[in-house]
Amino acid sequence: MGDRRTHGRTGEDPLKGTLRTRIWSFPVRLFALLLIVLEWTQPGRPAPLRPICDPRVLNHFIKEARDGENAVRLCREGCSLSESVTVPQTSVDFDVWERKTAEVQAQEVQSGLWLLHRALSLLRSSVTDATLQGHIDNSLRNLLDTNGVLRSLNFQDYVPTASGPGGEETWRVSTAPELLHVYVNFLRGKVHLLLSGAQACQQDVS
Amino acid sequence: MTCDHLKRWLVFCVVLCVQMAPSSVLSSAQGFENKVSLLLREEPNNPKCFAEGRKDFTCFWEEDEERAGHVGQYSFTYAYQQENSSRCPLRTQQAPHGKKRFICHLNRTQMFVQMDINVRRDGLMIHNRSLLIDLVFLLNPPGNLNVSQTESLSQLLVSWVPPVLKYMEDSMMYQVSYSPADSSQGQVTQVEEVRASSEVVLRGLSPGTRYKVRVRVKLDGVSYNGYWSAWTDPVFMETAPGGVDLLIVSLVFTISLIISLLSVTIIRSHRRFIIRKVWPAIPNPESKFQGLFTVYGGDFREWLSHTNGSLWLRPAFFSSEEYPSAVEVLSELSPSPTLPPKASRAAPVERREEEVGEEKTSRKEEGSGGVKVWQETPHDHWLMEQLRAFHRLPAPCSQSSLLESQDAYVTLNTRQPGCHEEEEGHLDDIMEESSPLEVLFASWGGAGSSESRFDLGSLRLSSASGHLSSGSSLEYPNLTWPPKGPGYTYMAGADSGVCMDYSPMSVSRIEDVGKTLVHNEYKNEIRSERRPVLTRQPSVHTDW
Repeated sequence: MGDRRTHGRTGEDPLKGTLRTRIWSFPVRLFALLLIVLEWTQPGRPAPLRPICDPRVLNHFIKEARDGENAVRLCREGCSLSESVTVPQTSVDFDVWERKTAEVQAQEVQSGLWLLHRALSLLRSSVTDATLQGHIDNSLRNLLDTNGVLRSLNFQDYVPTASGPGGEETWRVSTAPELLHVYVNFLRGKVHLLLSGAQACQQDVS
Repeated sequence: MTCDHLKRWLVFCVVLCVQMAPSSVLSSAQGFENKVSLLLREEPNNPKCFAEGRKDFTCFWEEDEERAGHVGQYSFTYAYQQENSSRCPLRTQQAPHGKKRFICHLNRTQMFVQMDINVRRDGLMIHNRSLLIDLVFLLNPPGNLNVSQTESLSQLLVSWVPPVLKYMEDSMMYQVSYSPADSSQGQVTQVEEVRASSEVVLRGLSPGTRYKVRVRVKLDGVSYNGYWSAWTDPVFMETAPGGVDLLIVSLVFTISLIISLLSVTIIRSHRRFIIRKVWPAIPNPESKFQGLFTVYGGDFREWLSHTNGSLWLRPAFFSSEEYPSAVEVLSELSPSPTLPPKASRAAPVERREEEVGEEKTSRKEEGSGGVKVWQETPHDHWLMEQLRAFHRLPAPCSQSSLLESQDAYVTLNTRQPGCHEEEEGHLDDIMEESSPLEVLFASWGGAGSSESRFDLGSLRLSSASGHLSSGSSLEYPNLTWPPKGPGYTYMAGADSGVCMDYSPMSVSRIEDVGKTLVHNEYKNEIRSERRPVLTRQPSVHTDW
């Protein structure tokens, strides 16, 4: 073996050429090429994520949102919205809700999350209180995580158009407490209903 | 006929319906009354509002009968956030304690949104409240409460069916209250909180006790919130009666039986050993001096005079507890004056075979025992002197201290010393037992025995062999010693602690007085345990 190696180093390996041709035969080359191409193009959807059905995940988000709402109520100054923002409606009529399909519900939830994300980002930029800023940062992270949870439940991503979703589904708020109140209620209501009724989690429910 | 039949059937059905309907109505009415009374306790605000399910909503308030107006005077209006207000139709009810109850019921609600409620009487607002409907749930109590025993004696399994509410089962929490049914014992009711589960195992209960268990439900407050529901009807169940498990009892019994049998067997087999260890026998010389204490009250002289003296000469004298001590009674080959110093040492005594008798024939030294020949009669007197000297000398070694602690001095009787009882072959065995080497002198006190002998036992230790071999003892049938008492010959003897194993190599008895020569070869087998005692003086031993 060593001899062969030294042989190889000196370039005197007589078997070199034959070995190469033996390993890199045509089928092997084709297979390697195929692998490279497939990896590059990544065809098909990615493997479905493991569904996140634990209700404690959303409960955690709701609790943190409530903490932020309490913090903004106690805040005296430096906790105001610079301008009014559009927020999703949080009211749920069960009869109406149950008549909607899962996709429509998911779209409604995702557009609401998008709106809230935009509104909270605006609040973050206008708030100077450090504690509230921390809470808002938490809320923004939780919103993104909620989107991830929805994705894990096989809900397709939906981004509302630039003009925004239908007007009847939105409100306008102008104060920080109102905004955070809406945020809490949205999580508690529509998001919670969507997640607890998700099809991907129904098999686990005994 | 058919009409009559039909009429009868109709009446029958009506009666049945009338009977059945009120029960459900009654139950719901009863449930409502319970909730009303509960809310009256829990909620301070007016109007008191609660939601029983996902879609219904009920508000009420009570006023005194005298001051209450007509229901038409009141208006109940509500408005959701950023919506127009709506009006709720009111109805009245008779309440206990002379009160009038006004009730508003909605069949369609919106949750997760703020609701502003306004109650006016004749245009004047009397009640105002703002709430979220999803936060004022008041559920029905859980149903199908079931309590059952478990394998453990102190546990009970409690299970129930949660109220049927879609989407909300995961948000419910329960309280299980349990207490011994016999509350006269003053036991505190305990409450177990359960979340997101519809069964629980109660632990830490007393076995064989009857328990009262009930459950109530509430929404956990994260997504939904509300009031604690009413308690279910109590269910009674007994825990399994206390008592040891049968298997454990049988196992314990079997094991204890086995252990007791083993211990009894061991104790019985080692009974003597145990008794000796626990209750060591106090050495009592009574066995050797029979009748000494019982008859003569301890007077040794009396006892001696009255006994034939054959008793104490037995090898039973040589008790095993006596320690070996080396005694040199006689000198070596020549009875030189230099010998006394040796005699003064408690050195291992060398055995000698002594020539007895007037013949004064010299003995040949027997190799095994290191027996040396004892020469002539002039030895005799010298011997006595040596003995006396030894008698007076203090014990130079520890062994002789042991010596002094024992009855080293044995008064002889006319009888022959037990060591040389060749006729009694068993004596050899007896001598084996006896550890000390006693030097015995037979007295010639005219006891009718023409034979009198005394034996001097000397012991030589050979450390190399590890066992002692003793030479033969001397015999002096003709020695006349100044008697110290009537018929007593006093001798100095030392316990050597050596068990003498007499193997007669050449044994001849003294037939006549002083005429015979007795050879005795004694081979002692010293028990190994004695060796440490003896080998304390290795220098002494090796001299010999």
